[in-house]
Amino acid sequence: MNFWQLLKLEFTAIFADKAILLTVLGGGLLYSFLYPLPYAHQVPTEQLIVVVDHDNSSLSRAIIRHADASAKIKIIAKVNSIKQAKEWITDAKAYGLLVIPQNFRRNLILGKGATLSYGGDASYFLIYSAIAQGLIEVGLDTSKSLQRFALLSKGNGSKKTDKALNSIQLNSIPVFNSTLGYTPYIVPGLFLLILHQTLLIATGILGAGQWHQKSYWLQHSSISLVCARICAFFSIYSLLSSFYIGYCFYFYQVNTLANMSEVLLLMLPFLLATVCAGISLSTLFLHRDLPTQALLLSSMPILFVCGFVWPLALIPDPIIWLSQIVPAVPAIKAMLILNQMGAPWESIINNWLHLWVLFVLFFTLAVFAVHQRQKKMRGANVD
Amino acid sequence: MKLLKREIVAILDSPWQLALLTYIPIMGLLLLWGLFSAGLPRALPVAVVDFDQSTMTRLLTRHLQANPSVKVIHYTHLQDAKKAMQQADVYALLVFPYQLKKKLFTAQQPVIDIRYNSQFLLVGKLLSSQLQLTLANSLKSLASIKELAQGTPKQQVAINLSPVSNQTTALFNQNNNYVAFLVPPILIALLQIIAMLVFVNSLSFELQRTKEDNWYHHGIRAVLLTKLFFYSACMLLHGTLIYTFLYLHLNLPIAGPIWMLILSLLLMIIAVWLIVLTLFFFLKDSTRTVSVCGAIFAPAFSFMGITFPSNNMPDLAQIWRALMPSSHYIEQHIATVNYGQNITQLLSQMTSYSGFLLLLLPIIYLIKKGRNA
Repeated sequence: MNFWQLLKLEFTAIFADKAILLTVLGGGLLYSFLYPLPYAHQVPTEQLIVVVDHDNSSLSRAIIRHADASAKIKIIAKVNSIKQAKEWITDAKAYGLLVIPQNFRRNLILGKGATLSYGGDASYFLIYSAIAQGLIEVGLDTSKSLQRFALLSKGNGSKKTDKALNSIQLNSIPVFNSTLGYTPYIVPGLFLLILHQTLLIATGILGAGQWHQKSYWLQHSSISLVCARICAFFSIYSLLSSFYIGYCFYFYQVNTLANMSEVLLLMLPFLLATVCAGISLSTLFLHRDLPTQALLLSSMPILFVCGFVWPLALIPDPIIWLSQIVPAVPAIKAMLILNQMGAPWESIINNWLHLWVLFVLFFTLAVFAVHQRQKKMRGANVD
Repeated sequence: MKLLKREIVAILDSPWQLALLTYIPIMGLLLLWGLFSAGLPRALPVAVVDFDQSTMTRLLTRHLQANPSVKVIHYTHLQDAKKAMQQADVYALLVFPYQLKKKLFTAQQPVIDIRYNSQFLLVGKLLSSQLQLTLANSLKSLASIKELAQGTPKQQVAINLSPVSNQTTALFNQNNNYVAFLVPPILIALLQIIAMLVFVNSLSFELQRTKEDNWYHHGIRAVLLTKLFFYSACMLLHGTLIYTFLYLHLNLPIAGPIWMLILSLLLMIIAVWLIVLTLFFFLKDSTRTVSVCGAIFAPAFSFMGITFPSNNMPDLAQIWRALMPSSHYIEQHIATVNYGQNITQLLSQMTSYSGFLLLLLPIIYLIKKGRNA
């Protein structure tokens, strides 16, 4: 039997297996839609807050109107005391409060200064930051307009007033994900991880199902079997990757700054290393339902150790060292740097070489481990 | 008792099930806590390109260095700083323009440019607000000198500079600690997956048994109830361990009693049971049940609404969210841990699980069908 026939057998084995098809095609298509689904609206807007207005003046009403006009905030009710506001928050009917103190307007007119207090529910960081940001903007704006009135009333010209108020400008702009959207933030890393995990599961299920039954895998050398399996999964996953990285990235409006050849060059060692890792792992399993279970549990830790959710510098070193044997870790980092942040190829050369080292490592391991499995099975035959 | 012994023998036969019931949840707890153990994002690298090199820009840089979230890294050339940004070596870039001090003194409104990496959203947003806060504060100290020079009395200076001052409070998690914010929901999501796997495995043991030892032979209701009690107790034990570690060992703030958390965890586990039973009796194959359950439960964390608020999710996501037991649980968790709700409030929240009871109908139907087959 030559290599082409073996490859054909591999494809037949893969496409005859419902569990693999469910994981690769079903899982692949479902996840591309399901995971980004909660983030479809990109930024948290119109967070509900309550107002405690102890002042009841024209100025306090203007502040409330301005706060309500902010896209980040929606004022749901006016309550009489902070205690009541607390009840609204603990009943989860509101997520923040704005307190305008008594004599707010009077104190400002007298030049005594006054304090606006804000609170946001920090059980939810994005809600808190939306409320805090929205209310601080309103507070600063009020402050500025009061200063402007004060300066104008002292007889300054409007141009001079402007300059006095904004003597320096802070021009703070987000880069790489200019809309601050949640989907472009989470999708690039997550999608590579989904490819990685489903590929490991699929090779795992295929292997675990074969090791205890006599079939074509015994009739070839372990090297040709591993090579055939790499070719089969690599071709399937090239298609799935093009869907994820090609179509989905555009669909979810993720930055795609790298050119196609560079992305392909990066995906090559990633997919190769992952298939080999999958084949090596598969030799550990004898039950077909184990690979899914083991890899399902590993997904979340791998996602958080990749460094785009939580900065790498703050993760303890032993965990980072351990994570280096996972192909997804260097691949996600390299993909973000290359494709989302538009760095030149030489910036990711280390990660790329890292992936090749992992490929060589896992390839050797896979050939060796498959060989052991074959020896065991042939030994069992003799008995 | 005989049935309980039967379960324990089955567990001891399967090293993986034993691992899921014993050390895997503990390893997960330690690993995920270890990941986030720093708690607060500190010393995040920021590139500073100083084209002015004046006393003023050096003062501003020193103020930035004094901010615990920022670690200043100096770059001479903008190109190098840009490259460091693109490689995520630094998370923000700050440029002091040429002749900043001179322009400020001659009232030409100089511009300080800040670029922050929003591909790393949480870090980027944090740095953006910290950098603006620090710079605004240190510029205020410069402006106060100007006010004083113009003859404003000292008490009045601060008021003139900002007549309305802001006081912002992060309720329930005052220092924005990530361990308190992110670790409990992640662990619950993980525990939910582990519980699901344990339940599926315990059911698939039954498929491998002989006809004499079959669960219909032993009485399927008794077998299932034994499983329910035994495995739920194991999972509750791990849940209690997580709570003990987080709220007693690490001393994270908790307003309500821990037994209320255990109570709501119990209901979550029962809801997971119902989902697993339905799918198992429907699919009757352990590998496919694991795949389908995995597909359902794997994204549970994103749907909890902890990172991205649930009230901003589209309707379809809200529906999917309601199908996850963990998203019902997490609301009770937050209400208990942060708001210190009382038992009546908890009980009224728990009614949200009632929809899962509807699953009993297909389960009973499928079991009956299985018996006749």
